[in-house]
Amino acid sequence: MLIDIRDLYKIYNEGKESEVRALDGVTLQIDRGEFVAIVGQSGSGKSTLMNVLGCLDIPTYGEYYLNGTDVTSLSDKQLAHIRNKEIGFIFQGYNLIQELDALENVTLPLIYQGVSVFEREDIAMAALERVGMAERAHHRPSEMSGGQQQRVAIARAIATRPPIIMADEPTGALDSKTGRHVLEILRELYREGTTILLITHDDGIAATARREVRLSDGKIISDQTQEVDWE
Amino acid sequence: MNIWQAFKMAFKSISMKKTRSFLTMLGIIIGVASVVIMVSVVQGQNKKNLEFYEKMGDNKINVQAFSYYDSGDSISQGLYDYCLSLGSLVLGITPDAEVGSTVMVQYGAKTLPVNDWDSGVNIPWEDQMHIKLGSDQYGVCNNYKLAGGREMTYLDVSNGNPVCVLGSGAKEALFGFTDPVGETITLNGDPFLVVGWYQPMDIEYWPEMDNLIVIPYTFNRTLNQNSSINSYVVKARDAQSTVEAMTRLDAYLSGLFPPNEFGYSDVGSFGVSSDNNYAQQVESQSMMQSLVLGAIAGISLLVGGIGIMNIMLVTVTERTREIGIRKAIGAERKSIITQFLIEAAVICSIGGIIGIAIGSVGTLIAGKLLLGMTDMLPSAFITIGAFLFSVVLGIIFGMYPAIKASGLQPVEALRAE
Repeated sequence: MLIDIRDLYKIYNEGKESEVRALDGVTLQIDRGEFVAIVGQSGSGKSTLMNVLGCLDIPTYGEYYLNGTDVTSLSDKQLAHIRNKEIGFIFQGYNLIQELDALENVTLPLIYQGVSVFEREDIAMAALERVGMAERAHHRPSEMSGGQQQRVAIARAIATRPPIIMADEPTGALDSKTGRHVLEILRELYREGTTILLITHDDGIAATARREVRLSDGKIISDQTQEVDWE
Repeated sequence: MNIWQAFKMAFKSISMKKTRSFLTMLGIIIGVASVVIMVSVVQGQNKKNLEFYEKMGDNKINVQAFSYYDSGDSISQGLYDYCLSLGSLVLGITPDAEVGSTVMVQYGAKTLPVNDWDSGVNIPWEDQMHIKLGSDQYGVCNNYKLAGGREMTYLDVSNGNPVCVLGSGAKEALFGFTDPVGETITLNGDPFLVVGWYQPMDIEYWPEMDNLIVIPYTFNRTLNQNSSINSYVVKARDAQSTVEAMTRLDAYLSGLFPPNEFGYSDVGSFGVSSDNNYAQQVESQSMMQSLVLGAIAGISLLVGGIGIMNIMLVTVTERTREIGIRKAIGAERKSIITQFLIEAAVICSIGGIIGIAIGSVGTLIAGKLLLGMTDMLPSAFITIGAFLFSVVLGIIFGMYPAIKASGLQPVEALRAE
């Protein structure tokens, strides 16, 4: 079991009138090499779920085992290592650093990992090539289209070759053609054995995933495996 | 991530955000430069004031005594003798008198400008020559140093030998760059042998300190119609001797001119004074000025500091998001704080160094324009102080967003808009 969460809660303003239960007792297991779509409407808690699974946020209650490690007991530093080595993030808003060019953005996680100067340029360049952005290596985010920025963000996510990729509405800000291209890259990574978590509100996109977990009001309302045509 | 990497990241960030970096630097540049200039100008002024008293010589006592009934000679001789009796307290005694009537000073074809009261010719004051009547200790008492030749001797004075010592202004006007020793000048046609000349005093706005010719005071009777000498300069050995000598002189003169019931004498008047008192006043005044200036400097540094603080705080949101991104892709808190620390330190140090450079140039210019000093430079203490203050302030506020945001969960930092 790669990801194992039990009875997970994320509660804001607990005990007050304005209490919000973004996650309301979620239990979920995900195996290595799965392609899981987490679907739900806006406010269903799907992004919160990804943030907790990605160690970007801590749950209020509940257990979370990643690779058998109890994540809730880890230090800030250990969590940073997990984010760096185990998980690659793709955000809806790309979250690239505006002052750095594409190559430097992709190099960043490698720097924090301590990869040597000579190696990391090659690794980052290879990642950019993989998403078809090699020619734009020295362009800054402001000089690129949304689709191009998202591809750079994907390159950054895969540069450290993490076993898990988490994508939060990766196509949300893109036109359908660019969106399909981004999904194609994710499928390719899946075929290579990477575990993919895809967060989306789009049923059409969710339908292309092998497994579909549906969230509503912080609870899982369905969890089904389905046939997909692209496999 | 190693420290070298953090340095590279910091430099990258500074060079990519030029406007913000420059604005931050500007606060420091202005703060440091203005403090350096202000403090230096006042320190320069104080130094100049003290320099004046230094050149005039310290431990110098001026004694005057006037008799209302006596012709003055016996009082004068008595005072001179009393001064001599002060013995080891004093280094020298000289009459402090000047020829008041018209004197023609000539050397060969050259005539020095002298006030010709009879024909009404008006000589600019800075060119006027002064014929001083002194003893063999005139130089010692008035802090003149010989540039060449010798002082008058005791025998020159007591015998009334026609010799003279020239101040640098008189020497230059009559002899230019040639050696005057052994030459003869004439005062109202009477020949005087030049035996020595003094180094320049160079006191600003006071050229008469150098425009002088010293002759034995024994010529007083022939050159001054009023024959008595009323003033003496006594050079005491040190500050303590000055006080002691002044007390004794005061007592002696009070004995000669006993005060009546109203506190002043019916038979004459006298005065005993020393520049030491003025110098002390100047010094305490300087202290006052330094304190006031320190306060002004402190305020301007504070204003500069608030400027730094503002620009740093304004960028907190922007930077919070950046920190969120860095954390999300695996940066440890330590790496982020290190990067921001170096970034702030580098920006502030560059700003501080530019501020010192501008401040030094500004000090030189201000010194030249305001004080006529060509070599005025800021003191190391105030320069380093202003630099450290700004840099520390800059670093504290530069690190503030990093310390705050790096402690957040990545998702919270990413949410900053």
